[in-house]
Amino acid sequence: MIVRPVLTSMLLLGATFLGAQAAYAQYSGAVASANLSDPQFNFMGFGDVSYLSRDGTSKDGFFVGQAVAHITASLGNSLSVFGEISATGKDSQYSVEVERMIVKYEFSDLFKFSAGRYHTPIGYWNSAFHHGAWLQTTTTRPEMVKFGSKIVPIHFVGVLMEGTMPGNPFGLSYHAGFGNGRHANVARAGDAGDINGDKAWMVQLRAAPDRYFGLEVGLGFYNDEIRPDDRPDIKENIVSAYAAWVRESPEVIIEYIHSSHELLSDSSVSGDVDAWYAQFAYRLKDDLRQWKPYVRLEKTDVDSTDPLLFDQGLDYEASVLGVRWDFNPYAALKAEYRNEEFDNAGRENNFRLQVSFVLTKL
Amino acid sequence: MHMTMRVKSTARQIRQSLLVICSLFFLLPSAAMPEESIGQNGLAIIVHKDTNVDNLSMTALRNIFLANQQFWPNRSRIILLVRAPQSDERDFVLNTIYQMDEAQFRKYWIAKMFRAEVPRGPKIVFSTGMTRDLVVAIPGSISFLRADQVTDDIKLLRIDGKLPSDEGYPLK
Repeated sequence: MIVRPVLTSMLLLGATFLGAQAAYAQYSGAVASANLSDPQFNFMGFGDVSYLSRDGTSKDGFFVGQAVAHITASLGNSLSVFGEISATGKDSQYSVEVERMIVKYEFSDLFKFSAGRYHTPIGYWNSAFHHGAWLQTTTTRPEMVKFGSKIVPIHFVGVLMEGTMPGNPFGLSYHAGFGNGRHANVARAGDAGDINGDKAWMVQLRAAPDRYFGLEVGLGFYNDEIRPDDRPDIKENIVSAYAAWVRESPEVIIEYIHSSHELLSDSSVSGDVDAWYAQFAYRLKDDLRQWKPYVRLEKTDVDSTDPLLFDQGLDYEASVLGVRWDFNPYAALKAEYRNEEFDNAGRENNFRLQVSFVLTKL
Repeated sequence: MHMTMRVKSTARQIRQSLLVICSLFFLLPSAAMPEESIGQNGLAIIVHKDTNVDNLSMTALRNIFLANQQFWPNRSRIILLVRAPQSDERDFVLNTIYQMDEAQFRKYWIAKMFRAEVPRGPKIVFSTGMTRDLVVAIPGSISFLRADQVTDDIKLLRIDGKLPSDEGYPLK
C-alpha cells in the first residue's frame, strides 16, 4: 500500500529536481556567457503621490510627484551609459526632462572620466537623493536644494573626473567638474552651450573613514560667471560642507552652503547667501523597525545686497516633523507636519502625506 | 458509490505522498550533510583562479563588497556574487562585512545605482554549487562560501593574512 505514495513522491521530487537543474543551467549559462563583454542593461524607477493640506490660499490637495526612469547600460569592462528621465506634473500638463545623461569610462578606481548632464556634486542631498523620493527619509528636499533652486546649481553640463583612493583608511574620494554653468534663467543648467565664455568648475572631496563606518563628510567649491536675464554679469563662488551619518539608528545629515555673488563690473556690489539644514532621524528597533520618526530644521538667509538673489524672496525658515513607515521593502508611507516661513512673510503650517516607491530588481 | 471510494482513495494517496515528501525534507539534511555553523569553520572569501591577489585586509574586503573598490590591481573589474536572501552565508556577510540588515542592504545598493556609482547591483546566486561554478567561470569574480565547501578550482583568499583554519580569522 505504501509503495504507490513513495513512487509518487519520488516522481514529484524528481520533477522538482530536474526543473531546478534546468533553471540553474539556464541561469549559469546566461551569466557565464554574458561575462561582461555583452551590453547589460539595468532599469530602475521612482515615483510618489502626495496629499497636501495647508494654511492660506496656496494650492493643496493631491499631487503626483516626479515619475523618474533610470536606465544603465554596461558596454564592456569600463564603459557605461546612464540615463535618467523625469515627468513632473504641472498645472495642465507634464513636463518631461532629461535629468541626467552620463557616458562614463572607468580607467581605474582612482580615475573615472565622464561627460554629460549631472546632478552637480555640491553638498550631500543633491547627489545622494535628488529625484528618489523613496530614498530620502522625508517627503521633500530641503528648500535650499529644491527642484529649481536658485541657490544651488542643481544640474550642470560638462565633464567630470571622479575617483576613490583605494587602500586609505579615510575612504577619500573626489569629484572635479568643468562645464557650462548656469543658464540665463539661473535655476536651469546651460544645456545648449555656455551663455558666456567663462565655464563653471567645481571640486569636491569626500571622506568615509572605515573606522567610523556610516560616516561621510565632504567639502566642495564651485565657481562660475553668470549672465542672468535681467542683470549684469555676476561672479559666483559657492562653498559647501556636510556631514552625514547614515546608519539610520540614528541618521544625521547636516549640510551648509555659503554662496557669494559679486558684480563683475563693480566689485563693491556684492552679497552672500547662507543656507543650512540639519536632519535627525531614528529607525526604531525590533518589531517597530519599519517606523522612522524624523525632524529637520532649515534656514536660508540672503543678504539684501546680494546682486543676484536679493529680490527673489528666498529667505526661509522651517521646522519639519514626521514619521516614515516602510510598509513594503520597496515602498514607504510618510506623514509630515511642517511649519515654515517664506521671505519673512509670516509662518504657515502644512501637513503632507506621501507614498513613495522604487521599481527595481535587487 | 464506486466513484466516491475512488476519490477517497486518491485523496489518501496524496496525503501519504505529502507525508513522505515532508519526512524526506526533514530527514535529508541531517542524514546527508551534517554542516557545522559558519562561526566554527569560518566563511571563506573566494575569487576566480586567475585573480592576482592572495590577501585582503578586512577594510579592503569591505570596500570591495560595498563597491567602493570596483577594480582589481590589474584593472580588471571586480564581479561581486552574493547569495540570495535566506541563506546563512548571506546573513553572516550582512552582519560581519556590511553591518546591515536586509532592508539597509537593499537600500544601499539602490542608492549606489541611483548615484550612478555602479552600473548594477551584485549578481545574485542561489546555491553553493552555483557560487562555485560562477566563480570558476567569471574572471574577476569574488564571493563567499563556508570554509569546508571550498574546492581546488577556486582561489581562497587570506583575510588580514589569515586563512579560515587559522586562529583569529576575522570571518568566524
